[in-house]
Amino acid sequence: MRPHFRLTVFGAAVAFLGLAIGTAPAGAQEAAPNECAACHASLPDAAHAAPVAAFKEDVHQQRGFACVNCHGGDPTTADKDRAKRPESGYVGAPRGQAQIAVCSRCHSDAELMRRFAPRQRVDQEQEYASSVHGKRLAEGDTKVATCVSCHGAHGIRVVSDAKSPVFPTNVAGTCAACHADASHMEGYTLPDGSPLPVTQRDDYQKSVHFEALTTRNDLSAPTCNDCHGNHGAAPPGVGAVANVCGTCHAVFATKFEASVHQPIFDKGCIECHGNHAVVAPSPEMLGTAEPAVCVVCHGGDDDPGFAGAGRLRQDFDRLRGELARTTELIERARVAGMEVSDQELALGEVRNRLVLARTEMHAFTPDTVVPIVNEGIEQLVAIEGAGNEALAELSYRRRGLAMSLLAILLLVVALGMKIRRIDRRPHL
Amino acid sequence: MASDERTTSNTPVAAPPGDRVERRTFLDAILGFGFVSTAAAILYPVWRYLIPPASGEPATASAVAARLADVPPNSGRLFKFGSRPGLLVRGPDGELRAFSGVCTHLDCTVQYKADTSQVWCACHNGLYDLAGNVVSGPPPRPLERFAVNVRGEPGQEEIVVSRT
Amino acid sequence: MIQQRVLTWLDERLDLSGLRHFIAEKRVPVHAHEVWYYLGGLTLFLFAVQVASGILLILYYRPSAEEAYESVQFIVTEVQFGWLVRNVHSWSANLLIAAAFAHFFSVFLLKSYRKPRELTWVTGVLLLFLMLAFGFSGYLLPWNELAFFATKVGTGMAGAVPLIGDWLMRFLRGGDDVTGATLSRFYGMHVAVLPALTTLLVAAHLLLVQRQGMSVPLDVERRARAGERVPEMPFFPNYILRDVLAWYVAIALLAALAALYPWELGRKADAFAPVPAGIRPEWYFLAVFHTLKLLPSHILGMEGEQVGVVVASAAAALLVLVPFLDRRSSDGKKSPLFTAVALFGFAYLLVFTLLGHYAD
Repeated sequence: MRPHFRLTVFGAAVAFLGLAIGTAPAGAQEAAPNECAACHASLPDAAHAAPVAAFKEDVHQQRGFACVNCHGGDPTTADKDRAKRPESGYVGAPRGQAQIAVCSRCHSDAELMRRFAPRQRVDQEQEYASSVHGKRLAEGDTKVATCVSCHGAHGIRVVSDAKSPVFPTNVAGTCAACHADASHMEGYTLPDGSPLPVTQRDDYQKSVHFEALTTRNDLSAPTCNDCHGNHGAAPPGVGAVANVCGTCHAVFATKFEASVHQPIFDKGCIECHGNHAVVAPSPEMLGTAEPAVCVVCHGGDDDPGFAGAGRLRQDFDRLRGELARTTELIERARVAGMEVSDQELALGEVRNRLVLARTEMHAFTPDTVVPIVNEGIEQLVAIEGAGNEALAELSYRRRGLAMSLLAILLLVVALGMKIRRIDRRPHL
Repeated sequence: MASDERTTSNTPVAAPPGDRVERRTFLDAILGFGFVSTAAAILYPVWRYLIPPASGEPATASAVAARLADVPPNSGRLFKFGSRPGLLVRGPDGELRAFSGVCTHLDCTVQYKADTSQVWCACHNGLYDLAGNVVSGPPPRPLERFAVNVRGEPGQEEIVVSRT
Repeated sequence: MIQQRVLTWLDERLDLSGLRHFIAEKRVPVHAHEVWYYLGGLTLFLFAVQVASGILLILYYRPSAEEAYESVQFIVTEVQFGWLVRNVHSWSANLLIAAAFAHFFSVFLLKSYRKPRELTWVTGVLLLFLMLAFGFSGYLLPWNELAFFATKVGTGMAGAVPLIGDWLMRFLRGGDDVTGATLSRFYGMHVAVLPALTTLLVAAHLLLVQRQGMSVPLDVERRARAGERVPEMPFFPNYILRDVLAWYVAIALLAALAALYPWELGRKADAFAPVPAGIRPEWYFLAVFHTLKLLPSHILGMEGEQVGVVVASAAAALLVLVPFLDRRSSDGKKSPLFTAVALFGFAYLLVFTLLGHYAD
């Protein structure tokens, strides 16, 4: 028994060691020396020391990566020259195309990425090459954004982390770091030669999309990358705008695509709604006088579009006006204490009609909008009738009670006479 | 009325005894009739008040949505819940669900789409699943869910929807 | 007749002879000021109307912040004649307090509180305060905007009581703010605590009146002592028929008010909405409310509101003690000082109620 026992223990120890070595994750270097970090952390200037501290929050660090995985070099020595000798693969702080190469060495490797984030895309480099940034970088422009410009270098967080510069609510600020900086953007032009504006972020902050994202916490609301693309960032281009807006505003895009404006508008939805400062549409946008947008192109009595705009505006005003009046009537009846829940329900249906009419308007033919408006008006007439009936019931009750009042007063008179009579009775 | 009149016995005003009795009875009759009719005029509304009204309790708390027999599987119908619409859905699995019929986007009234077994809003194509969660489209929040219970005699069951 | 047989049956078991004799022999004095006698019975009748209509309302009312408004809406829209019951209850509350005040002032001016009727006065004044408490607690129950904010302001004034103000306010509100807790508390007060106290006090008040008989004005009493016979009328049927007449007039008035000025449902209370402009309590609190509004912010080093509350409380306490303070009336002499106090009180309440109503 004894020799076998010793063998067993020895075998177990070997197996255990083998297991320990074999299962160490590729690239995991918690136990490995990291002289890069040790030396840099002790340096006096922030530019060299800060990355070490920042890297502690980095998602790569949490997955077991270290300085050498991106920068190369020899992490085992504290001597600067030995650590950074060319044979060690040291690349320094990569810039431009070199930077792209460093990141995509892993992030474009599907097999590698599958081990860490199976669902993450691996075509960012390809997309980037098709973007304005990527194309300019290929031409030698070093002012454009590269991976680090948006994602950071040493404190990289996952996109779903609220502190990440590419978390939905932070994206606009990240883009604006360059695009709102007039001196940085100097020299860049639009296709027509005019200087590239730097007001996009300011405009965007006036929009309903921004409000939805920041105030109402609706993370599905669009920010820069939702319309321009992530890594393949570029303006949508002529003819494609309605498609882009239509990814969310599908019904409106469909109606617009079938309308007379589709072949005419170069910029699609943007012609009326703007591109960055997309404010909540108001009834005033439609019509034949300022501030309606229709008059930018339409005018004159012989312009069917002008007449159409006028008709549409009239119809909408009528529906909205009647709706407001009837709502006020029903509210009055309700506050007085009458039963009007059926009418309130019906008013909800009329409001539906208004919403549908506004959608239908984007087909730009009054003929399809008018039936919806008329339906709404018809329903309002019925509701108003019921509302007036409810108020009439109040005065009906009045009359009923007034009658019973008469009866009581007659009784009071009779009682008075009886009292007189009784008083005349002799009593002890 | 002078105080003295009530304390001394008065000889009645000269009138034949027969007349006096008739007048007294007539006045008494009127009084009796008056008391009874005013009592009735008070008791009748009280009696009607005590009888429970048709809608058992405030409709904002619960409502009868439909009869079970009228709701086949994979169908939905709107019903009145207080002053807002509600949507009663019987899924393909036969299970009953009730939601607020008001789309969380712009308050349009939703409907049930049997071909995809989803709740759909016609205004801007919002889609919800049978848990009320948003599947696609502009709605920012899920549909409010209500509690569903069935009560009544077998064959004549009613579906009662309540807020909690 | 059948009532005769029922009475005989009861008589054999309970010996009603004392009661019968009492009713048959009970007399009510007749004089120039006898018309004021009817106010007490009228107040009692209106209270009975409140109890009856209140019990009917309890059958459908739900005392929670989430359901109170909806339940009142249910009563006035769905329940058959619910609107009538609710209107009667709301209007009769106002008439009840008006009658209570009229009864109070007539007794005050006629000095009926003098010996031997001191306890009748004490129970009566306490009953008046209870009626005001009924009004205040009941007003919140529909949980509409007006009621919510009026209660907020009203209970806020309790905070002005020196020393115990904050505690008192929390006690009334069931917390720091007016919430569903306040509603529960007010409901409990309104349907249980206050009725119980009122029952006890009314029983005492009536027992005393029956035991001691109706009081007469001082000059009539003097004439009686000088040997003159005070004219009287039998309670049954002469006086009681007149009482019933007054009650029917009250019913007619209630019907007219419910028809011409129905109580509205209002808007549901929203704790986070701003206080609507011009918020005021009901008319029976207007005089005190307006006085407090007019007081300067500081008087003799104390906060104005505090002084107002202290003075009002002192006045209420003194009111209860009037019979013990007015020696002259007890001795059967004229008491012009207390007549002046009563008239002044009446004038003050009248003027400040009107001011409170018409001021912006």
